[in-house]
Amino acid sequence: MKAFKYLSPTTVEEAIAFHSRHSETAKYIGGGTDVIVKVKEGWMEPDYLISLKKIGDMSELHKNDATGELSIGAMVTHATLEKSLMIRNEYPIIHDAVSNIGSLQVRNVGTIGGNLINAVPSADGAIPLIALDGMALLHGPDGERSVEVKDLFIAPYKTILKPREILKKITIPPQAPHTGSAYIKFGRRAAMELPLIGIGVLLTLDDDLQTCPRARICLGVAAPTPMRAFDAENFLVGKKIDENILIEAGKIAADESKVRDSVRGKAWHRKEMILVHVRRMGLKCLNMIKDNN
Amino acid sequence: MSKNNSEFSVVGKRIPKLDAAQKAMGRAEYIQDVKLPGMLFGKILYSKHAHANIVKIDTSKAKALAGVHAVLTGEDVPKKMKMGFIKDNPPIKKGNVCSLRDEVAAVAAISPEIAKKALDLIEIEYEELEGIFDPEKAMEKDSPLVHEHLKSNVLKMPWNIHYGDVEKAEKESAFVVEDRFTTTWVTHCCMGTSGAVALFDASENLTIYTNTQIPSLAHKDFLEALKAMGLENKRVRVIKPVIGGGFGSKLDTYAYEHIAILLAYKCRKPVKIVFDRVEEFKATSTRQPTVTYIKQGCDKNGKLTFRDMRMVLDNGGHTSWGATTPSVMLMPISSLYRVENVKYNAKCVYTNNTYSQAMRGYGNPQATFAIESSMDMLAEKAGIDRIEFRKINKNQSGDETPQGLKITSCGLEECIDAVKEELKFDGKNEKGIGTGIASLIHVGGGARIYGSDGCGAILKMDDYGKVDIFTGGTDMGQGLDNITAQIVAEELGLLAEDINVVHSDTDICPWDVGAHASRSTFVAGNAALGAAKKVKKKIQVFASKLFDVPAQEIELKDKLVFVPGDREKSMLIGKLLRKAHFRPGGTMLMAEHFYDPDNENMGKELKGNMSMTYSFGAHGAKVKVDEETGKVEVLEYVAAHDVGRAINPLLLEGQVYGGVIMGLGYALTEEVTVKDGEIMNANFRDYKLFTAKDAVKIKAPVIETDDKDGPFGAKGIGEPGCVPTAPAIANAIYDAVGVRIKDLPITPEKVLAALKDKNG
Ligand SMILES: Cc1cc2nc3c(=O)[nH]c(=O)nc-3n(C[C@H](O)[C@H](O)[C@H](O)COP(=O)(O)OP(=O)(O)OC[C@H]3O[C@@H](n4cnc5c(N)ncnc54)[C@H](O)[C@@H]3O)c2cc1C
Repeated sequence: MKAFKYLSPTTVEEAIAFHSRHSETAKYIGGGTDVIVKVKEGWMEPDYLISLKKIGDMSELHKNDATGELSIGAMVTHATLEKSLMIRNEYPIIHDAVSNIGSLQVRNVGTIGGNLINAVPSADGAIPLIALDGMALLHGPDGERSVEVKDLFIAPYKTILKPREILKKITIPPQAPHTGSAYIKFGRRAAMELPLIGIGVLLTLDDDLQTCPRARICLGVAAPTPMRAFDAENFLVGKKIDENILIEAGKIAADESKVRDSVRGKAWHRKEMILVHVRRMGLKCLNMIKDNN
Repeated sequence: MSKNNSEFSVVGKRIPKLDAAQKAMGRAEYIQDVKLPGMLFGKILYSKHAHANIVKIDTSKAKALAGVHAVLTGEDVPKKMKMGFIKDNPPIKKGNVCSLRDEVAAVAAISPEIAKKALDLIEIEYEELEGIFDPEKAMEKDSPLVHEHLKSNVLKMPWNIHYGDVEKAEKESAFVVEDRFTTTWVTHCCMGTSGAVALFDASENLTIYTNTQIPSLAHKDFLEALKAMGLENKRVRVIKPVIGGGFGSKLDTYAYEHIAILLAYKCRKPVKIVFDRVEEFKATSTRQPTVTYIKQGCDKNGKLTFRDMRMVLDNGGHTSWGATTPSVMLMPISSLYRVENVKYNAKCVYTNNTYSQAMRGYGNPQATFAIESSMDMLAEKAGIDRIEFRKINKNQSGDETPQGLKITSCGLEECIDAVKEELKFDGKNEKGIGTGIASLIHVGGGARIYGSDGCGAILKMDDYGKVDIFTGGTDMGQGLDNITAQIVAEELGLLAEDINVVHSDTDICPWDVGAHASRSTFVAGNAALGAAKKVKKKIQVFASKLFDVPAQEIELKDKLVFVPGDREKSMLIGKLLRKAHFRPGGTMLMAEHFYDPDNENMGKELKGNMSMTYSFGAHGAKVKVDEETGKVEVLEYVAAHDVGRAINPLLLEGQVYGGVIMGLGYALTEEVTVKDGEIMNANFRDYKLFTAKDAVKIKAPVIETDDKDGPFGAKGIGEPGCVPTAPAIANAIYDAVGVRIKDLPITPEKVLAALKDKNG
């Protein structure tokens, strides 16, 4: 492993300044569960690792009761999200996703921001944040900008972040009443598992508890980046949701996915899993809405 | 049963591993921890192609790198330095490579980083040759040849037997089933990676620290290596550090050991080679993949009439013990259940894949997968309950099987009953849930593969009642140290912690054929027991003079030597030892014992009682199959074994749990993914070893049959835990959803595909 210097700025501005000084040879580090692996393997050889850990507000998890907006600092760990009762009750899709990442040790240090910016198609943390219409707040040398989480990704390991830009936090707009959400990571093992396919579903129902004004179907490992199944979502909108409708939506989602054969699994099986789990997660959402009513 | 467990003081007790604290606190010294003054670091360069001619190697840049002490290529390896039991594998290849793990060069440098850099500077020009990766295709006439000079890819091995008359028996059978089963590569996944440190003294004697399960045979291999190097009449000392798991992977000597020796000799300095995890996956040997054709029949009452099996084994590019696993496969094939007419033919075929080796069970899991899957199919065809069917054909004490195995003690029926009782095989399961059973036979009293199946032990007592025992046996984490200590302590009336077990230093310890074939408790245990008995007799003789009673009246227990019923005639053993020692003409109490079991080599006919006794078991699984995803969840697992006697039930359970988890991985998740000879998943993310979270609750009923030849009645139990696991799972899946998966591992993909096939 190549030696590096470890810097610990306490503000975003300082971090960006450090990065500017060392430009190409510097790299931000959150929990390091992706970065350190790459450094050890020699895939990445930074001279400086700039830790974002000491930047106070980046580790905050906070829901604004007045506006209903949820704010997740990029440095919030998977374990913090997993243990939060508020997350478990109000954003079950986040809980589903983060509580099955890697192992306890990985969740204790791995951050939600790192998960997004690492930008692999299998990023478990990305799916719920996309489904919840999350916004990413980025801070770079030229100031702040805000983008939808779904638009962060360009390709595996590639995001729209400009050089030196930092992901500060993710905000989730207030959730409509009668909303349910669920995520499943389908794999062969119960821990330390890359999903063979990840399926997140979010459904909002009207006051009749049947008609769907808004649906999100998000897929991991179904394309080079985490994706939304827009056709399937559009199919659901305006319909009265029942199991048959969800089966149809599953088929459409499977069709619009761009799953591939790989050494880890075959495309046909991945499609099949999308089909099955869109229905299962959809039903879970419906039950949640009923239970909460 | 001759003796009840409650009559023992130390045997049968759940004594935690004696080295547990040492390991838990990070004090145990593994090969990674061995550091010697002036030590250099060796690294190995592997082939870029699965099959190629080496046209040119240029090492000049590597040699010129500062810090590099030596660069070796195939040219530097003495002609006669070869590995494997048919010696077809030089530690560094010259002229031709036939797998991606073929070593083509090696470097010694002052740091691992520099050594690695030097590897990158070695320039090799290859001429690629067509590779062959499917053993069945490799058998075809026009297949490319892995070794041109051999004219065929099929190894010359004797695996062709026929006991009784299979053709006749088939004609007379009421029911016959026939099918094809396959198993794939899996690997040991030892927590401690492989490695060795070699050094020569000024007189050119070799000391090698190495992870080995076979110190004495490795000693012999290295003597031969020295001879090939022109170093005649030199000494070799093999020292085994603490091993982080063996599972059969360390039953041969390997290129990295021979290369460390060559580099150490060339540099006149100690050289250390240690694998990283990727190298461990890519450059160590796997369990051998098999293609099995099986046909079995029974009469109208369900009595097995014949078993006819044909196998093709992927040998890889070179030959190690993998090619001899048919000798052990033969055991379940000929002797799991009573069957008189047996045919077996196995072909080991060279391919350009990685070469295989021994792995826990030594072929038995592959054979048992086919046999026990087929047993269920035959029971169904005959319309007989699958438990009943197995009982009709069960092995029994006193049997002699067609192969000539003499079954002395057999608790197979008790094992089957234990599984039946735990899992309630009543067919009343919810949809998608099913139960499955599979049995096993394995060698449990040594296995005579070489001229000797022996193990030596030397025992010395100090002046205070403590014992040092020098055993040939090897502890590699399985707990032989405990077993040895408990056996000796029981015999000498001491506590387990009074016994210091010294093993695996060939300068100090006697010979042993190796920690294989589940033989250590039985063979090394009997060696230790023999030495302890001799010392006990000496104590009794000495005490008989002190107490003035006949020697046979004297007992040893609770650290005392005493005459039962006579409180005056009692003395601490330590005190007696001092009385024996500190006097004119005094003596220390010591003894040695070499135990070689009375088992037989299989001759040309492949017949003979290869083990003194056999271990039996039955595994049962209850599974839930998700019919929409194909995912299998193991709800309950029972693994019942006839172990003769549990010397230490805690360790025994550990062996069974570990075996079952390994077997479940084999059944459901584990697979070295190989594409054109290249290993695609050389990491724990993609090689799906069970995690703690996947672990299943396992019940492990122990059947004690008190074997007449085992130490305190014990038989071997090292391997059986992973033998019938896969068929138990496959049978349970069939019971649950009616699809039979014949190819391991049973992935959700395969189950779902089969369900779709079945449901149209
Ligand atoms: C054993 C193991 C198991 C794993 N299992 C899973 C799993 O099940 N599911 C899953 O999705 N992932 C898994 N991962 C991957 C990893 O743990 C997660 O992606 C984790 O969330 C990464 O967060 P981190 O804080 O450790 O990122 P880091 O390694 O610190 O950073 C990752 C990348 O993001 C950049 N970065 C980090 N924070 C910021 C920021 N605020 N602004 C800009 N750039 C930033 C870094 O420069 C780097 O390029 C696993 C990893 C390991 C080692």
